[in-house]
Amino acid sequence: MTELAQPGADYSIVETEEPEVLSRNLFAAGQLLAGATAFFFLSFLFAYFYLRSLNNAGLWKPKHVDASVTWGTIVMACIVASAMLLRFGRIDHAAGRREAFRLKALVALLLGLAALVLQVLAWHEASFGPTDGGFASVYFGWTAFLFLFVFCTLFWLETVLATSWRYRNDPMGAAVVAPGHASGDPSRTAHDIRNPVELNRASLGALSFYWTFLAGIAVLTWIVLYLI
Amino acid sequence: MSVARRLVGFNLFTACVLGVGGWYAGWFSAHAVVGPSLDYFADVDFNELSLVLGYIGGVLGFLIGLGFFNYPLARLRGYPPSLREKEQGGIGRYFSLCTDHKVVGIQYLVGIGLFFFIGGLNAMLIRTELLRPDHQVWPAGTYLTIVGIHGTMMMGMMTSGILGPFANYLIPILIGARRMAFPRIEALTFWLLMAAGVILETTIFFGGFPTGWTGYQPLGTEANPGIDCYYLFFALVGISMTLLGLNMIATIVTMRAPGLTWSRLPIFVWGVLSTAALMVLAAPVLIATLSMALMDRVVQTNFFVAAQGGSAYLYENLFWVFGHPEVYVLALPGFAIVLEILPVFARKPLWGYRLAVGGLLGVTLLSFFVWQHHLFFSGINADLRPFFMLSTELISIPTGLTFLCGMMTLWRGQIRYSVPMLFCLAWFFNFLIGGLSGVFLSDTPSDTTTHGSFFSMAHFHYTIMGGLVFTFFAGIYYWVPKMTGFQLNERLGKIHFWTMFVFFNLTFFPLFIAGFQGGMPRRVVTYPHGLQFLNDWVSVSAFLLGGSMLLFLYNFVKSLVFDRIPSPADPWGSKSIEWQLPSPVPVQNFDRIPVFSSDPYGYGEGGRPVVVPAGAPAGMN
Repeated sequence: MTELAQPGADYSIVETEEPEVLSRNLFAAGQLLAGATAFFFLSFLFAYFYLRSLNNAGLWKPKHVDASVTWGTIVMACIVASAMLLRFGRIDHAAGRREAFRLKALVALLLGLAALVLQVLAWHEASFGPTDGGFASVYFGWTAFLFLFVFCTLFWLETVLATSWRYRNDPMGAAVVAPGHASGDPSRTAHDIRNPVELNRASLGALSFYWTFLAGIAVLTWIVLYLI
Repeated sequence: MSVARRLVGFNLFTACVLGVGGWYAGWFSAHAVVGPSLDYFADVDFNELSLVLGYIGGVLGFLIGLGFFNYPLARLRGYPPSLREKEQGGIGRYFSLCTDHKVVGIQYLVGIGLFFFIGGLNAMLIRTELLRPDHQVWPAGTYLTIVGIHGTMMMGMMTSGILGPFANYLIPILIGARRMAFPRIEALTFWLLMAAGVILETTIFFGGFPTGWTGYQPLGTEANPGIDCYYLFFALVGISMTLLGLNMIATIVTMRAPGLTWSRLPIFVWGVLSTAALMVLAAPVLIATLSMALMDRVVQTNFFVAAQGGSAYLYENLFWVFGHPEVYVLALPGFAIVLEILPVFARKPLWGYRLAVGGLLGVTLLSFFVWQHHLFFSGINADLRPFFMLSTELISIPTGLTFLCGMMTLWRGQIRYSVPMLFCLAWFFNFLIGGLSGVFLSDTPSDTTTHGSFFSMAHFHYTIMGGLVFTFFAGIYYWVPKMTGFQLNERLGKIHFWTMFVFFNLTFFPLFIAGFQGGMPRRVVTYPHGLQFLNDWVSVSAFLLGGSMLLFLYNFVKSLVFDRIPSPADPWGSKSIEWQLPSPVPVQNFDRIPVFSSDPYGYGEGGRPVVVPAGAPAGMN
């Protein structure tokens, strides 16, 4: 019987895939994700200037609506510091200083988490709610989604850190990963990727780029929502 | 294995169970936990909040049931990256998370086909209502909901109408790769779309929505809770589109086989690349816009409430920043399929390859600069009209280039009128009418009388249905033998084509007249008595058009389930690489990555394939 998308490859002659392929994929994906993220936040930027210029019913920014610069600055500083630290960590990783990388990545993760906690406190301490006019809408919408993006990126960071920690004694550890792990095919008897653990380096490269980009968004957020 | 054993595990059955459970968990948490605990929810209609959290919980439960959270949780515990899920064999793959791009392609074909037919049934209901000028089969509100579901389903689902089934299945093969760059994300895009489709259908339990497919404000802010289903549907479609586009671009840019330079890329791949670029950049704007609209309803922000410092017009602007590129997300893959298929059946190389690529990229770029032509009469600054009129009319130049390349490919070709070719030829006719009528809508003075009428409705059906759906069927007849290993019945295919082509034109051409002469407005349940004959004509034609779809369905099921006549390896005499592989294609596509030495359009330059694999493809040795 002919089966849709039939299994039938003779695995003994299928070429193994190089880690560099995933590295290239992740690098491209990181940039594309940054592009998509930029367009996402551009919508909020557009809304900010649009509603500000219209000032419908004089309710763009009522007098009691004022986002705290102190909270905003601290949140932004945590995110930027976290991103910078991860970049330094990546240099350590590339140089083979895995212990130093793990320490920096851990601190970067904690700084990112601190930014999230502080953002929640900032919302709690705000003198206004989401119902208080145009600025309040943009403020809560923009910061809520930045919160979500930061949270997801920290999840990514945690996975890279956890893998590095799990294989700390065997950084080149193809031997400790089951054959067929990368392709998910339990019938394989040989590795389909030369070193699945090495894929972590590729992931770190893309993560570092995207986290720095998101820190840039955080700086833009700070300028638009708190400074001008 | 017993049926009960089969149902246990990460599959569609578990996903549905957890989806329903998740829905109730979200609904309950909003009612019992979130609502009373936060002061500023005091003014919010708790049911609305419950509904939104219910659907979010439902989608999460659905994805958990399919197994999408297993890998992230394993990664959280430090297990190294892997590219694919452990996959079961047999038919179960099609009802679970499967990372084989060919399985995902077929899942898309069936899943999107299902929702396409539901959208089509809604069109039949619309035409039933319009058989009489004032008699109402349904109340006006129900009619608007039917119109809204039809439009939203078609515009939302068909964004992936070609990229979903054909690009997922074919792109890795066409570029000489074994997989997509991110196979799990590929699978996720499909299942998100299915969850979205179900959510949209459930709007009928919450009062429906009166806004059509655009969700305009302030109607959206004031509508029934059913509008939340619309927002959630389109937001999920937006996420699916973004991820699909990202995956496609990453795959094409990074995973091309040796020798496959940009100038040798099949034109279909260029079309997918252009569409994917639009998806990655335009869909996030949609997600952001609909998130704002949802926040206005659920946490009472005021993005679009003019009396509270917002602006309904902000929504219209943001929506069309996405909405017009969306039109090209629908149209560009159609161009690409036509240009890919024409050389095979004209037995000539693709004429003006670089011109065609330039046309596709030109449309992609310009589509971001035309959105305000949808708002000529909604209050935009009058000084802006000339610019947007000009930019809209400029886009006809790159569109015309692709059209020209197609026509010149036909010139002096040895044309074979097989079913895929017939659908491609119909595209020329339909899209020409759609394009020419578009000039009236892009031109501000003539748009005065045509906008918001059945004229514009006829226009976009000619471009989208005439441009996309006809090429969708061209793709089905052309590639399904490759995807399944079985032939579709040619005679039934031709009958399907001719009935669809004739009744499509008999349905939509008279609507130009209804809109232009009679001024018949869209989305209004009644119309002048003088237009009844025209409307009855259109309704009967539409029913027959629907009948042609049933004919296709009959052919599809008969050929693939009952007749099961094996397809020859290369039934069309194509030189493209997918036809050098066995049908259906083996799981790993190639044993060894092939090396490309030319483009796939060398017709009339010798009879053998232009692709020279470095090793024998899987199954050929």
